[in-house]
Amino acid sequence: MTLLEVKGLIVNRSGVPVVRGIDLVARSGEISVVLGSNGAGKTTTLEGLSGIIPASGEIVLDNASIAGASAGKRARAGLRHVEQGRTVFPEMTTEENLKVALHPDASLGEAYELFPELVQRRDVKAGMLSGGEQQMLVIARALVGRPKVIMVDEMSSGLAPVVVNRLMSGVRKLADGGMAVVLVEQFATLALGIGDRAYVLRRGQVVYDGGCAELARDPKRLHHLYLGDSVQAG
Amino acid sequence: MNSLLTSAVAGLSAGGAYAILGVCAIFNYRLVAVVNFTGAAIGAAGTFVMVALYEAGFPLAVDVVAGVAAGALAATLIGLVMTTWFAGSSASTKAAVTAALLVGIIAVGLRLTGGQHPHNFPEIVAGSAFRLAGVEVTRASVLTIAISVLFTVLTEMFLARTRMGLQLRALSQRPMAAELIGIRVKLLALCVWAVMGAVTSFALMVIAPLRSPDFMSISLLVVPALAAALIGAFTSFRAALVGGLMIGVIEGLASGLDAFSQYRGAIPFVVILAVLLWSQRGARWDEAR
Ligand SMILES: Nc1ncnc2c1ncn2[C@@H]1O[C@H](COP(=O)(O)OP(=O)(O)OP(=O)(O)O)[C@@H](O)[C@H]1O
Ligand SMILES: [Mg+2]
Repeated sequence: MTLLEVKGLIVNRSGVPVVRGIDLVARSGEISVVLGSNGAGKTTTLEGLSGIIPASGEIVLDNASIAGASAGKRARAGLRHVEQGRTVFPEMTTEENLKVALHPDASLGEAYELFPELVQRRDVKAGMLSGGEQQMLVIARALVGRPKVIMVDEMSSGLAPVVVNRLMSGVRKLADGGMAVVLVEQFATLALGIGDRAYVLRRGQVVYDGGCAELARDPKRLHHLYLGDSVQAG
Repeated sequence: MNSLLTSAVAGLSAGGAYAILGVCAIFNYRLVAVVNFTGAAIGAAGTFVMVALYEAGFPLAVDVVAGVAAGALAATLIGLVMTTWFAGSSASTKAAVTAALLVGIIAVGLRLTGGQHPHNFPEIVAGSAFRLAGVEVTRASVLTIAISVLFTVLTEMFLARTRMGLQLRALSQRPMAAELIGIRVKLLALCVWAVMGAVTSFALMVIAPLRSPDFMSISLLVVPALAAALIGAFTSFRAALVGGLMIGVIEGLASGLDAFSQYRGAIPFVVILAVLLWSQRGARWDEAR
């Protein structure tokens, strides 16, 4: 079932078009991986979708248009944007970070089940957690809000490979539970390994839309998609 | 010696007002990240609505309730301006906006209340509570001190124990992240403004008859209020409470000494300067390392 459908998304930054007409879908039970090199427009796409910055184009969440709504309304409609940079509430404990986001039908147990590592750290201020723990916390915090779609930006940046693996399997579980996941990554291999559908962005446009497995089997093509024609000689 | 003590005790009544205003300033800063210059002016608006109704012959209880409501409404309007147009602005821009609003409110307030024209200020709580060092300590000053203590305790408990308190803390730490998890950011911020307006209005109604009760003087109580908040580093309600009382007492002492009494109005500025220099000292020291 399609939970998020985006058509012709355009986002400007300081008057410059940074996202230039992107189509994207995210389905229940699937991970849609969004790849692209530095500055391709991945973060800007997510920010346009979640309403942090104004965007034009169609955004349909579970059959209802949310294009005109504020960021808060989109969130309450079931869209979660986990920003890059692990935006925990630093002066609140791990548990308070989860409680404040708790949907009436959800329980803290779901968060601790997804990332048991957090149980021991429940009374520690989130600002004192390690980078990996903070990343787990912001994903778990999104989960307990009972969203339909969760979009995660650069969750692996700056983290050790073991931790990244841990996070990837957590995100896989979210999708297996019926959520639609949009996973933005700069480093492709791991994401393509757990993802279903892939999008590659270059200069604000989609240059690949297809299966993750296909792309994972063809590293040359991926390399080419990332860098474009400019480096063909190399 | 004894006369000095007398002056100090006399300063307590002003100190009570500074304390509650300082606590409200921190409330404003901690929860909606605005250094608010309009706090006392909002309270003045509420107070003068009360006075107008009183002069029109309505019963005092009605006047007080209407005045508190008017203060809450005025604060909500300012909150609306801040959250609609300046939500993403820097702290200094927001402070500058409230300073500009203060000038506007004072101008309008003076016009509507007839400038220095004397008004008939009802004493909401009249009489003296007890005598200390030969001075009557008025019920009004005891009440303002009690309100500031109560407001501090209740706010701390509210933030620590309730769901809305949790949301307010999240909002104050990371407004964008709070919005992205679906917290009703704007509504919460407006509630904070409304509560601040109501509390300030009531406190100033109680204290106004003891001060020079014209719109401008009441609005400018923001200066000692921010000095008190600064003593609390815009974080600690308790330090601001103590700081506010201290400023009042020092003012009282100064007015007891002939050489200083003319300059007692400058005391909040001296306190502000001293606190800023003190905090700078730390920064310089860090830099030097
Ligand atoms: N505030 C801004 N004003 C103008 N241009 C901006 C602004 N922020 C980002 N950009 C530009 O928008 C483009 C896309 O940025 P964006 O952050 O969306 O890329 P990204 O794909 O997320 O990159 P990264 O992998 O580095 O996170 C970049 O070219 C960047 O220079
Ligand atoms: Mg990015």
